Amino acid sequence: MSSGAISGPARAGGGRDIPAPAARWRDYLGENGVQKWVFYIPVVFFLLFFAAPMALTVVWSVFERTQFWMEPGFTLFAYDNFFSSARAENYLFSMLHGAASVVIAFAIGFPIAVFIRRRVTRVAQHRVILLFILPFMISELVRVFAMRPVLGRHGIVNSLLMELGVISEPITVILYSPLGVIIGDVMSFLPFMIFAGFLALEAVQNYIFEVCDDLGTGRVRLFTHIILPLAAPGIFAGSVFIFVNSLGVALVPTLLGGPGAVNAGLIANQAIVALDFPLAMAISTIMIVTLVALLYIGHRLFDLTKVLEPIS
Amino acid sequence: MTQSSDIAVEVVDLAKNYGPVRALNSVSFSIEGGRYYALLGPSGGGKTTLLRLIGGFLRPSAGSVYLHGQDVSHLPPDRRPTSMVFQNYALFPHMTVERNVAYGLKLLKAPPGEIRDKVERMLGMVGLEGYNRRMPHELSGGQQQRVQLARSLVLERDILLLDEPLASLDAKLRKDMCLELKRIQEKVGITFIHVTHNQEEALTVADRIAIIADGELVEEGTARDIYETPRMRFTAEFIGDNNVLDGVVADISDGRATVDLGFARVDVAAHGLPAARGDAVALSVRSELLRIVGSGQDPEASWQLIPATYVEAIYLGLTISHLVRLPDGTEIVARVISGERSEEEFEPGSEVTMGWPGDRARLHVA
Repeated sequence: MSSGAISGPARAGGGRDIPAPAARWRDYLGENGVQKWVFYIPVVFFLLFFAAPMALTVVWSVFERTQFWMEPGFTLFAYDNFFSSARAENYLFSMLHGAASVVIAFAIGFPIAVFIRRRVTRVAQHRVILLFILPFMISELVRVFAMRPVLGRHGIVNSLLMELGVISEPITVILYSPLGVIIGDVMSFLPFMIFAGFLALEAVQNYIFEVCDDLGTGRVRLFTHIILPLAAPGIFAGSVFIFVNSLGVALVPTLLGGPGAVNAGLIANQAIVALDFPLAMAISTIMIVTLVALLYIGHRLFDLTKVLEPIS
Repeated sequence: MTQSSDIAVEVVDLAKNYGPVRALNSVSFSIEGGRYYALLGPSGGGKTTLLRLIGGFLRPSAGSVYLHGQDVSHLPPDRRPTSMVFQNYALFPHMTVERNVAYGLKLLKAPPGEIRDKVERMLGMVGLEGYNRRMPHELSGGQQQRVQLARSLVLERDILLLDEPLASLDAKLRKDMCLELKRIQEKVGITFIHVTHNQEEALTVADRIAIIADGELVEEGTARDIYETPRMRFTAEFIGDNNVLDGVVADISDGRATVDLGFARVDVAAHGLPAARGDAVALSVRSELLRIVGSGQDPEASWQLIPATYVEAIYLGLTISHLVRLPDGTEIVARVISGERSEEEFEPGSEVTMGWPGDRARLHVA
């Protein structure tokens, strides 16, 4: 029966009588069949894998802690635990780290994006952008771990600087330190700034730059009056990516931060390791609230709905 | 913004190469101040390259550009007395109409009151009063081009360059904008140089037209000269709806040439062209001057006649095109206004005689 159904459509053109199973098979695929429901797949996906886990995270954060799991109930004990311990302070500190990483990634990454848009031939631009995707093909664990022999006391950076006579003592503040975490975050997430910045600039027509030549805008004002405002939504999107990752990816402080280094992700991890699930959920809830607040501010500043709209 | 009759633009042996590709090949010409000038030619012919060289967006590979007698070949666009209106998408998308127009004056550090007055006046001139607070994406294509025009004119530089400014507009709007551009040019009195591949657009706006093709200046003249008396064969083929016939000079005397088309001999004015007996030449007759000489009609003696076979009539609204085939196989077209002349019907395949007034064909030696 099923073979008839599959070959049915092929026969349909010339065949004088179409087999009934084939017709029914096509009904299932038709506008009133699968096609009608296929549009709901993203909605189901969103509810199942995005909305539901977030809602559960919030709900579980107020559950009662048991020895190995938790039970339904309502208590703000986890939040109290969070805000009355060093965790709140660590969380703020981790936000500060995140902000520093964003600023440094902007300072390094956005000029790269501008350079690729303005100075690389149009046909080569996407290939150059592709180069910055390559590091993502390597496991993040390996990538972050590889920073150790670079930044360490006897690492490449220190050996090179000592060899050149720039320093006489190895710099130790760049590994197993807060600075090490920031360096790791920037190195790991810099491509996000380059991608987002480039995509925003790609939408800017070349004519715009020529008009600036015609009007005599000059380099500095071209950057502040034209490039920066036009790329602002992209820069914000890239910044959110980097901020959220440096807040949440526990790997970086674990490998590069040394003793006592934490970020929000690591605090949550530690809570899970200690089998304090409500606490882990409370931390996650606070992260969600932070992100939503950030997006709200961004939306008020740049109207993020415009990010996806073609310019002009 | 004064009406000036001196030479606004002079281009001497100007050439531009892109790597091994020669985009512009040693072009020289000049443009009088206060004129509306069109650079017309097929795509990829070098006209935009020429405009960009005049505007300073490209550096010449050889030759010089003089604007008002001053060599500006190595000056950037903002240091030249020119301003450019681009094809499309050239408004600052994050600025209102008002800020777009005001931006150039702000850079020049003009006092705010003066900026406001000038912007207001310019928006009035291009017919966009009250659009000050609109964003570019809220405007139609035609309105965006008007804002660009205002943004350039407000700088009061005395040569305006327009690079296919109407190419992205639909036919009706393009027609209106042509007249609008012409009106604005007459009002401000500065030199406009308008690049287009659309001959109708060029004929509408321009006082003078230069035909640019294959990196060369083919021909230059008033719009009427270019249309009615093209010197070059290329111009005849490009402008209007000309029938171009190949032949050989059979005889030349008293400023008139007899051209042997292979199946007929016709007489044409030579206008002092350097043609000698035996030279391969071409002659062009505009399709609206070509007639099917019907039976019973007695053409004047000066008319030149050739035999042909009728192919078909194509109805085009305003005009009807009668397509006929010559004995050597080329197809030519005679156009008549619909309903104006007696709309004779011809059988496809029937033998007809084509004719034109003797002084209306043009001889081309190149």
